[in-house]
Amino acid sequence: MSDRPLIQLVDVSKVYHLESGDFTALNHVSLDIDENEFVAIMGPSGSGKSTMMNQLGILDVPTTGELFIDGRNVATMSNLERTHMRRDVIGYIFQKFYLIPLLSAYENVEYPLILKYKKRDESGRAWDVLKSVGFDQNMSAHRPNQLSGGQQQRVAIARALVNDPKILLCDEPTGNLDRKTGFAIMDILINLHREGRTVILVTHDPKIAEFAHRTIELEDGRIVSS
Amino acid sequence: MRDIFLDLSIRSVRLNFLRSILASIGIVIGVVAISSMGMLGANMQLSVKQQLSSDVNTIMITSDVVRTTSTAGTPVTAEGIDKSTLNDIKNAAGQNVVIPIHRTNTQFTIGSTDGRGSIYGLDPNDITKFLSIDQGDNIRGANDAIVGPNIATNFNMNVGSRIKIGQDNVSITRPTVRVSGILTARGFASDGVNTDNAIIVPDTWYTDHYGNKDIYDQVNVIMTNIDEINQTEAAIDDKVNRKSNVVRITDASSRLSSISSTLGTITSFILAIGSISLVVAAVSIFNVMMMSVNERVQEIGILLSIGTEKGEIRRMFLYEAFILGVIGAVVGGIASLVIGYSVVSAMIGNTAYFFMPESIMYVPYGMIIGVIVCIASGLYPAWKASNMDPIDALRSE
Repeated sequence: MSDRPLIQLVDVSKVYHLESGDFTALNHVSLDIDENEFVAIMGPSGSGKSTMMNQLGILDVPTTGELFIDGRNVATMSNLERTHMRRDVIGYIFQKFYLIPLLSAYENVEYPLILKYKKRDESGRAWDVLKSVGFDQNMSAHRPNQLSGGQQQRVAIARALVNDPKILLCDEPTGNLDRKTGFAIMDILINLHREGRTVILVTHDPKIAEFAHRTIELEDGRIVSS
Repeated sequence: MRDIFLDLSIRSVRLNFLRSILASIGIVIGVVAISSMGMLGANMQLSVKQQLSSDVNTIMITSDVVRTTSTAGTPVTAEGIDKSTLNDIKNAAGQNVVIPIHRTNTQFTIGSTDGRGSIYGLDPNDITKFLSIDQGDNIRGANDAIVGPNIATNFNMNVGSRIKIGQDNVSITRPTVRVSGILTARGFASDGVNTDNAIIVPDTWYTDHYGNKDIYDQVNVIMTNIDEINQTEAAIDDKVNRKSNVVRITDASSRLSSISSTLGTITSFILAIGSISLVVAAVSIFNVMMMSVNERVQEIGILLSIGTEKGEIRRMFLYEAFILGVIGAVVGGIASLVIGYSVVSAMIGNTAYFFMPESIMYVPYGMIIGVIVCIASGLYPAWKASNMDPIDALRSE
């Protein structure tokens, strides 16, 4: 296991069966991502970035080819195992933050801990993580719709981190933020990478992609440079 | 610590408060319908039972031997109970009161009015053991009679009135009895002695005029302790029906049970009508749950993508259905106490039995059914939510 990279795509294809005919979103893609890499995935819209993210996030399984994450073959896992993998191994950061509207900022961060341990957090971990992303504690009782975009994204990052995942998947994390707030968020991600996490970032902004150590460019479902 | 999925459900209900309350009103109506209909039926049964059970301590024994006749047109009649059988019954009955009864129908004339009714021949000493006299006195002389209240009213009889018994026939002088007393109304008597329209004469007078001395049409055994009724019936059966079925032994409890079962059928029927409203309620809960699922597709997508198990999503929506059900059931339970009480007092006119367990149990019963219906209506929406594809769900706006 240890010689296998953290993420390995072997000849992965994803074909969607649409009424207008089959659409190949990923076309025989092979890719290794090692632990503690900072990878940016770039490409025009329709190039397969989102599909790639869905594969890496175990939200979807490849049509053909093999995908290993943390040494496990995604295709052979049960639905419940994939759910637990999403909960424990991967942290998601979305462009639209996707906080749970009915929960307060604090509860949003606490939520993955509850999923994992089946009880409310008593360790103070949720607080610690919120603090570490620079979120103002006074705001933690507020619902997401009472927070600014930058605040929401900090909460979302805290939520992604709270179960201490190996992989952080960031889908246009700065896309809905102004430039200044965006860079502040990027600072947090750079720090997280420095602490040893594997960060995968999807963006179409070359300025943001510059933060990564390696850029993978997709076009028409193929990797054109990496 | 409270389950976070319960919290999410409570918040969702609170967020869509009006919609949730409207859906719960359906359950309220359903619970009220079931509970108050059930209570109405139960109160009906209880009050009828009470009315009938005054005579259930009586065993009725009639002849089981059928007398067949060769003459065409003569009705087939039962043989009477003879003296030796009566003695067997007395032996088997122990210290309970045994009342032999003669009975037939007769024509009679009071003044110049002709009438028709039952005539009973009873030992005068037995009369007061199970009948009560409203006016006048018990039979003293051999030609005294007691009449029922209806016959007395209909024919303007008083104590001292004279009744000619038998068919009016010029060639025969009919025997005459003197009314010594008038009975209290009995209503429908479940011991087979319906005296409201009857004339009661001494057994000696009866056998003098109708024959059948020591042959009785019916023997009643009045139990001093109702709990022994089954043993006493068995003892009589054992003694008298040893070789073949000589007598038929019945008591009012069998009639009571048949009336009860009829009322039970009526109760089930009105309960079924009540439950139609629960079906309607189920549809509205289902509708609200589907709306809740469809409005929260993206939220479900978020929950699924960050590692919420399908079972947890299902639980969240079932909690929501459960909350709607509990709100409806509690309000419905309280309302059905009020409405049920009004319905029972309006339709039965007696609320004495309302708080008896047989009646009041319909409130928790209706409430539980209401909650179950709600959860059942939430099953499909919950299943639908938990089986969404996280990617599609996330993408929806």
